[in-house]
Amino acid sequence: MRKDVPMDRERFDHLLAAYGADFARWPAEDRSAAEAFAAANDDAVSAALAEEQALDTALLSQTVAVDSPELLTARILASQKRQRAGLDWRAVAALAACAVFGVVVGYSGGMLAPPADDEAAYFASAFEAPLYEFDEGEEG
Amino acid sequence: MMDPDADLVRSAGAGDAQAASALVRKHLPRMISLARRMLNDAAEAEDVAQEVFLRVWREAPRWKPGGAKFETWMHRVALNQCYDRLRRRREKADPDAGINIADPAPLASEAWLAQQRTVKVGAALAKLPERQRSAIELVHFQELTNIAAAETLEISVEALESLLSRGRRALKVALADVAQDLIGDADGVARL
Repeated sequence: MRKDVPMDRERFDHLLAAYGADFARWPAEDRSAAEAFAAANDDAVSAALAEEQALDTALLSQTVAVDSPELLTARILASQKRQRAGLDWRAVAALAACAVFGVVVGYSGGMLAPPADDEAAYFASAFEAPLYEFDEGEEG
Repeated sequence: MMDPDADLVRSAGAGDAQAASALVRKHLPRMISLARRMLNDAAEAEDVAQEVFLRVWREAPRWKPGGAKFETWMHRVALNQCYDRLRRRREKADPDAGINIADPAPLASEAWLAQQRTVKVGAALAKLPERQRSAIELVHFQELTNIAAAETLEISVEALESLLSRGRRALKVALADVAQDLIGDADGVARL
Protein backbone atom coordinates (compact mmCIF):
# COMPACT_ATOMS: atom_id res chain seq x y z
CA MET A 1 0.00 0.00 0.00
CA ARG A 2 1.17 3.51 -0.67
CA LYS A 3 2.42 5.05 2.53
CA ASP A 4 0.73 8.36 1.84
CA VAL A 5 -2.68 7.03 0.78
CA PRO A 6 -4.52 4.83 3.29
CA MET A 7 -6.92 2.22 1.99
CA ASP A 8 -10.30 3.53 2.98
CA ARG A 9 -13.65 3.41 1.23
CA GLU A 10 -12.85 6.45 -0.88
CA ARG A 11 -9.52 5.05 -2.08
CA PHE A 12 -11.03 1.62 -2.64
CA ASP A 13 -13.88 3.02 -4.73
CA HIS A 14 -11.48 5.17 -6.75
CA LEU A 15 -9.31 2.19 -7.67
CA LEU A 16 -12.29 -0.10 -8.22
CA ALA A 17 -13.80 2.36 -10.68
CA ALA A 18 -10.52 2.53 -12.62
CA TYR A 19 -9.21 -1.03 -12.58
CA GLY A 20 -12.31 -3.16 -12.09
CA ALA A 21 -12.90 -6.04 -9.74
CA ASP A 22 -9.82 -8.11 -10.51
CA PHE A 23 -7.21 -7.07 -7.96
CA ALA A 24 -4.48 -8.44 -10.26
CA ARG A 25 -5.00 -5.30 -12.38
CA TRP A 26 -4.71 -2.94 -9.44
CA PRO A 27 -1.50 -1.08 -8.65
CA ALA A 28 0.88 -3.56 -7.03
CA GLU A 29 1.34 -1.39 -3.94
CA ASP A 30 -2.43 -1.35 -3.25
CA ARG A 31 -3.36 -4.96 -3.88
CA SER A 32 -2.96 -6.60 -0.51
CA ALA A 33 -4.54 -3.67 1.33
CA ALA A 34 -7.46 -3.74 -1.10
CA GLU A 35 -8.01 -7.46 -0.62
CA ALA A 36 -7.93 -7.04 3.16
CA PHE A 37 -10.30 -4.09 2.92
CA ALA A 38 -12.75 -6.04 0.75
CA ALA A 39 -12.66 -9.05 3.07
CA ALA A 40 -13.29 -6.95 6.15
CA ASN A 41 -16.10 -4.86 4.80
CA ASP A 42 -19.81 -5.00 4.31
CA ASP A 43 -22.32 -5.82 1.66
CA ALA A 44 -22.00 -2.42 0.05
CA VAL A 45 -18.39 -3.18 -0.86
CA SER A 46 -19.39 -6.62 -2.16
CA ALA A 47 -22.12 -5.03 -4.28
CA ALA A 48 -19.70 -2.50 -5.73
CA LEU A 49 -17.26 -5.29 -6.55
CA ALA A 50 -20.01 -7.34 -8.19
CA GLU A 51 -21.03 -4.42 -10.38
CA GLU A 52 -17.50 -3.97 -11.68
CA GLN A 53 -17.10 -7.73 -12.00
CA ALA A 54 -20.09 -7.67 -14.33
CA LEU A 55 -18.34 -5.25 -16.64
CA ASP A 56 -15.13 -7.28 -16.46
CA THR A 57 -17.11 -10.35 -17.47
CA ALA A 58 -18.73 -8.53 -20.37
CA LEU A 59 -15.34 -7.29 -21.56
CA LEU A 60 -14.11 -10.87 -21.60
CA SER A 61 -16.18 -11.31 -24.74
CA GLN A 62 -13.74 -8.99 -26.49
CA THR A 63 -10.70 -11.07 -25.71
CA VAL A 64 -9.26 -12.06 -29.05
CA ALA A 65 -7.23 -15.22 -29.21
CA VAL A 66 -4.67 -14.49 -31.87
CA ASP A 67 -2.02 -16.86 -33.09
CA SER A 68 0.83 -15.51 -35.12
CA PRO A 69 -0.53 -15.74 -38.66
CA GLU A 70 2.12 -17.60 -40.62
CA LEU A 71 1.83 -15.52 -43.77
CA LEU A 72 2.03 -12.23 -41.89
CA THR A 73 4.92 -13.53 -39.79
CA ALA A 74 6.77 -14.50 -42.96
CA ARG A 75 6.12 -11.06 -44.52
CA ILE A 76 7.38 -9.28 -41.42
CA LEU A 77 10.53 -11.39 -41.22
CA ALA A 78 11.15 -10.87 -44.94
CA SER A 79 10.90 -7.12 -44.36
CA GLN A 80 13.61 -7.43 -41.70
CA LYS A 81 15.89 -9.21 -44.18
CA ARG A 82 15.28 -6.52 -46.78
CA GLN A 83 16.00 -3.90 -44.17
CA ARG A 84 19.29 -5.56 -43.31
CA ALA A 85 20.19 -6.00 -46.97
CA GLY A 86 19.45 -2.33 -47.51
CA LEU A 87 21.61 -1.36 -44.56
CA ASP A 88 24.49 -3.42 -45.90
CA TRP A 89 24.07 -1.99 -49.39
CA ARG A 90 23.96 1.54 -48.04
CA ALA A 91 27.05 1.02 -45.95
CA VAL A 92 28.95 -0.33 -48.97
CA ALA A 93 27.74 2.56 -51.13
CA ALA A 94 28.73 5.10 -48.50
CA LEU A 95 32.19 3.57 -48.16
CA ALA A 96 32.60 3.54 -51.94
CA ALA A 97 31.54 7.17 -52.12
CA CYS A 98 34.08 8.07 -49.47
CA ALA A 99 36.80 6.17 -51.32
CA VAL A 100 36.01 8.05 -54.55
CA PHE A 101 35.92 11.30 -52.63
CA GLY A 102 39.28 10.54 -51.08
CA VAL A 103 40.83 9.89 -54.49
CA VAL A 104 39.42 13.17 -55.84
CA VAL A 105 40.70 15.05 -52.81
CA GLY A 106 44.10 13.40 -53.21
CA TYR A 107 44.37 14.43 -56.86
CA SER A 108 43.21 17.95 -56.09
CA GLY A 109 45.93 18.45 -53.52
CA GLY A 110 43.48 18.82 -50.68
CA MET A 111 41.61 21.75 -52.19
CA LEU A 112 38.26 19.98 -51.78
CA ALA A 113 38.87 18.69 -48.26
CA PRO A 114 36.26 19.98 -45.80
CA PRO A 115 37.45 22.05 -42.87
CA ALA A 116 38.50 19.86 -39.96
CA ASP A 117 35.61 21.11 -37.79
CA ASP A 118 33.07 19.73 -40.24
CA GLU A 119 34.50 16.23 -40.42
CA ALA A 120 32.31 14.73 -37.76
CA ALA A 121 29.16 16.11 -39.32
CA TYR A 122 30.37 15.00 -42.73
CA PHE A 123 30.86 11.42 -41.67
CA ALA A 124 27.63 11.45 -39.71
CA SER A 125 25.73 12.50 -42.80
CA ALA A 126 27.58 9.98 -44.91
CA PHE A 127 26.97 6.99 -42.68
CA GLU A 128 24.25 7.48 -40.15
CA ALA A 129 21.34 9.43 -41.45
CA PRO A 130 20.69 7.58 -44.70
CA LEU A 131 21.02 4.17 -43.08
CA TYR A 132 17.66 4.46 -41.35
CA GLU A 133 15.74 6.27 -44.01
CA PHE A 134 15.84 4.13 -47.08
CA ASP A 135 12.93 1.90 -46.14
CA GLU A 136 10.35 4.57 -45.45
CA GLY A 137 6.95 3.41 -46.57
CA GLU A 138 8.29 0.38 -48.27
CA GLU A 139 5.44 -1.88 -47.25
CA GLY A 140 2.75 0.80 -47.53
CA MET B 1 14.27 -2.56 -14.09
CA MET B 2 15.91 -4.59 -16.85
CA ASP B 3 14.01 -4.57 -20.12
CA PRO B 4 13.21 -8.24 -20.83
CA ASP B 5 13.43 -7.58 -24.56
CA ALA B 6 16.73 -5.72 -24.52
CA ASP B 7 18.89 -8.63 -25.69
CA LEU B 8 16.47 -9.64 -28.43
CA VAL B 9 16.18 -6.09 -29.73
CA ARG B 10 19.95 -5.62 -29.70
CA SER B 11 20.50 -8.89 -31.56
CA ALA B 12 17.72 -8.23 -34.07
CA GLY B 13 19.19 -4.80 -34.69
CA ALA B 14 22.51 -6.44 -35.44
CA GLY B 15 20.86 -8.66 -38.04
CA ASP B 16 20.23 -11.82 -36.04
CA ALA B 17 17.33 -13.51 -37.85
CA GLN B 18 16.54 -15.81 -34.92
CA ALA B 19 16.22 -12.87 -32.55
CA ALA B 20 13.97 -11.11 -35.06
CA SER B 21 11.81 -14.20 -35.31
CA ALA B 22 11.60 -14.50 -31.52
CA LEU B 23 10.53 -10.86 -31.23
CA VAL B 24 7.82 -11.34 -33.83
CA ARG B 25 6.46 -14.49 -32.24
CA LYS B 26 6.47 -12.90 -28.80
CA HIS B 27 4.78 -9.62 -29.69
CA LEU B 28 2.85 -10.05 -32.94
CA PRO B 29 -0.30 -11.63 -31.43
CA ARG B 30 -0.63 -8.81 -28.90
CA MET B 31 -0.14 -6.14 -31.54
CA ILE B 32 -2.79 -7.73 -33.74
CA SER B 33 -5.29 -8.09 -30.92
CA LEU B 34 -4.72 -4.50 -29.80
CA ALA B 35 -5.27 -3.16 -33.31
CA ARG B 36 -8.24 -5.44 -33.91
CA ARG B 37 -10.04 -4.10 -30.86
CA MET B 38 -9.10 -0.51 -31.62
CA LEU B 39 -10.11 -0.70 -35.28
CA ASN B 40 -12.66 -3.52 -35.40
CA ASP B 41 -11.10 -4.67 -38.63
CA ALA B 42 -8.97 -7.80 -38.88
CA ALA B 43 -7.23 -6.86 -42.14
CA GLU B 44 -6.37 -3.37 -40.96
CA ALA B 45 -5.13 -4.82 -37.68
CA GLU B 46 -2.62 -6.97 -39.58
CA ASP B 47 -1.50 -3.90 -41.54
CA VAL B 48 -0.93 -2.05 -38.27
CA ALA B 49 1.06 -4.95 -36.84
CA GLN B 50 3.22 -5.04 -39.95
CA GLU B 51 3.83 -1.30 -39.76
CA VAL B 52 4.83 -1.64 -36.12
CA PHE B 53 7.46 -4.22 -37.00
CA LEU B 54 8.78 -2.13 -39.88
CA ARG B 55 9.38 0.57 -37.29
CA VAL B 56 11.00 -2.01 -35.03
CA TRP B 57 13.45 -3.05 -37.76
CA ARG B 58 14.29 0.59 -38.46
CA GLU B 59 14.80 1.51 -34.82
CA ALA B 60 16.37 -1.69 -33.47
CA PRO B 61 19.93 -0.93 -34.69
CA ARG B 62 19.99 2.21 -32.59
CA TRP B 63 17.92 0.98 -29.66
CA LYS B 64 19.32 2.13 -26.33
CA PRO B 65 18.28 0.31 -23.17
CA GLY B 66 17.50 2.55 -20.24
CA GLY B 67 14.77 4.61 -21.86
CA ALA B 68 11.21 3.45 -22.28
CA LYS B 69 10.76 -0.31 -22.22
CA PHE B 70 10.67 -1.82 -25.68
CA GLU B 71 7.19 -3.25 -25.12
CA THR B 72 5.92 0.15 -23.99
CA TRP B 73 7.38 1.76 -27.09
CA MET B 74 5.76 -0.88 -29.32
CA HIS B 75 2.36 -0.29 -27.77
CA ARG B 76 2.78 3.42 -28.32
CA VAL B 77 3.66 2.90 -31.99
CA ALA B 78 0.70 0.57 -32.46
CA LEU B 79 -1.73 2.98 -30.80
CA ASN B 80 -0.46 5.87 -32.91
CA GLN B 81 -0.97 3.78 -36.03
CA CYS B 82 -4.53 3.07 -34.89
CA TYR B 83 -5.17 6.75 -34.13
CA ASP B 84 -4.00 7.68 -37.64
CA ARG B 85 -6.34 5.17 -39.22
CA LEU B 86 -9.26 6.21 -37.02
CA ARG B 87 -8.62 9.84 -37.92
CA ARG B 88 -8.62 8.99 -41.63
CA ARG B 89 -11.95 7.22 -41.15
CA ARG B 90 -13.38 10.29 -39.47
CA GLU B 91 -12.12 12.46 -42.30
CA LYS B 92 -14.03 10.22 -44.67
CA ALA B 93 -17.09 10.83 -42.48
CA ASP B 94 -17.63 7.18 -41.86
CA PRO B 95 -17.25 6.85 -38.10
CA ASP B 96 -18.70 3.38 -37.98
CA ALA B 97 -16.44 1.94 -40.66
CA GLY B 98 -15.07 -1.34 -39.51
CA ILE B 99 -17.74 -1.89 -36.88
CA ASN B 100 -19.13 -5.02 -38.31
CA ILE B 101 -22.40 -5.88 -36.68
CA ALA B 102 -22.75 -9.53 -37.46
CA ASP B 103 -25.97 -10.79 -38.89
CA PRO B 104 -27.03 -13.34 -36.34
CA ALA B 105 -27.05 -16.80 -37.81
CA PRO B 106 -29.65 -19.28 -36.64
CA LEU B 107 -27.70 -20.34 -33.58
CA ALA B 108 -28.92 -22.00 -30.46
CA SER B 109 -30.33 -19.33 -28.17
CA GLU B 110 -27.44 -19.40 -25.71
CA ALA B 111 -24.86 -19.02 -28.44
CA TRP B 112 -26.98 -16.32 -30.05
CA LEU B 113 -27.12 -14.37 -26.79
CA ALA B 114 -23.37 -14.69 -26.39
CA GLN B 115 -22.86 -13.45 -29.94
CA GLN B 116 -25.18 -10.52 -29.31
CA ARG B 117 -23.29 -9.65 -26.18
CA THR B 118 -19.99 -9.73 -28.01
CA VAL B 119 -21.32 -7.44 -30.72
CA LYS B 120 -22.87 -4.99 -28.28
CA VAL B 121 -19.89 -4.80 -25.99
CA GLY B 122 -17.64 -4.34 -29.01
CA ALA B 123 -19.82 -1.53 -30.32
CA ALA B 124 -19.86 0.15 -26.90
CA LEU B 125 -16.06 -0.03 -26.75
CA ALA B 126 -15.78 1.34 -30.27
CA LYS B 127 -17.81 4.38 -29.29
CA LEU B 128 -15.56 5.36 -26.41
CA PRO B 129 -13.25 8.32 -26.96
CA GLU B 130 -9.89 7.07 -28.25
CA ARG B 131 -7.90 7.84 -25.13
CA GLN B 132 -10.37 6.07 -22.84
CA ARG B 133 -10.42 3.09 -25.18
CA SER B 134 -6.63 3.04 -25.28
CA ALA B 135 -6.41 3.10 -21.48
CA ILE B 136 -8.84 0.18 -21.19
CA GLU B 137 -7.02 -1.66 -23.97
CA LEU B 138 -3.65 -1.35 -22.26
CA VAL B 139 -4.74 -2.14 -18.70
CA HIS B 140 -7.58 -4.58 -19.25
CA PHE B 141 -6.62 -6.45 -22.40
CA GLN B 142 -2.87 -6.01 -22.74
CA GLU B 143 -2.53 -6.34 -18.96
CA LEU B 144 0.15 -3.68 -18.68
CA THR B 145 0.85 -2.33 -15.22
CA ASN B 146 -0.59 1.08 -14.43
CA ILE B 147 2.89 2.57 -14.69
CA ALA B 148 3.62 0.99 -18.09
CA ALA B 149 0.21 1.99 -19.43
CA ALA B 150 0.64 5.58 -18.25
CA GLU B 151 4.09 5.65 -19.82
CA THR B 152 2.70 4.33 -23.10
CA LEU B 153 0.08 7.06 -23.20
CA GLU B 154 2.60 9.62 -21.95
CA ILE B 155 0.41 10.68 -19.05
CA SER B 156 0.52 10.42 -15.25
CA VAL B 157 -0.92 7.44 -13.38
CA GLU B 158 -3.63 9.75 -12.00
CA ALA B 159 -4.60 10.78 -15.52
CA LEU B 160 -4.64 7.13 -16.57
CA GLU B 161 -6.97 6.27 -13.68
CA SER B 162 -9.24 9.11 -14.71
CA LEU B 163 -9.40 7.80 -18.29
CA LEU B 164 -10.10 4.27 -17.05
CA SER B 165 -12.85 5.39 -14.68
CA ARG B 166 -14.58 7.50 -17.30
CA GLY B 167 -14.28 4.72 -19.85
CA ARG B 168 -15.69 2.06 -17.57
CA ARG B 169 -18.49 4.37 -16.45
CA ALA B 170 -19.43 5.09 -20.06
CA LEU B 171 -19.41 1.39 -20.85
CA LYS B 172 -21.77 0.64 -17.97
CA VAL B 173 -24.15 3.33 -19.18
CA ALA B 174 -23.94 2.17 -22.79
CA LEU B 175 -24.62 -1.42 -21.83
CA ALA B 176 -27.40 -0.70 -19.36
CA ASP B 177 -30.15 -1.10 -21.96
CA VAL B 178 -28.97 -4.53 -22.97
CA ALA B 179 -29.20 -5.97 -19.48
CA GLN B 180 -31.91 -8.40 -20.44
CA ASP B 181 -29.77 -9.83 -23.24
CA LEU B 182 -26.85 -10.30 -20.95
CA ILE B 183 -28.31 -13.11 -18.93
CA GLY B 184 -26.78 -16.46 -18.39
CA ASP B 185 -23.43 -15.63 -16.84
CA ALA B 186 -22.77 -13.98 -13.53
CA ASP B 187 -25.66 -12.36 -11.73
CA GLY B 188 -23.85 -9.09 -12.00
CA VAL B 189 -23.87 -9.13 -15.77
CA ALA B 190 -27.61 -8.68 -15.75
CA ARG B 191 -27.15 -5.55 -13.70
CA LEU B 192 -25.17 -3.86 -16.42
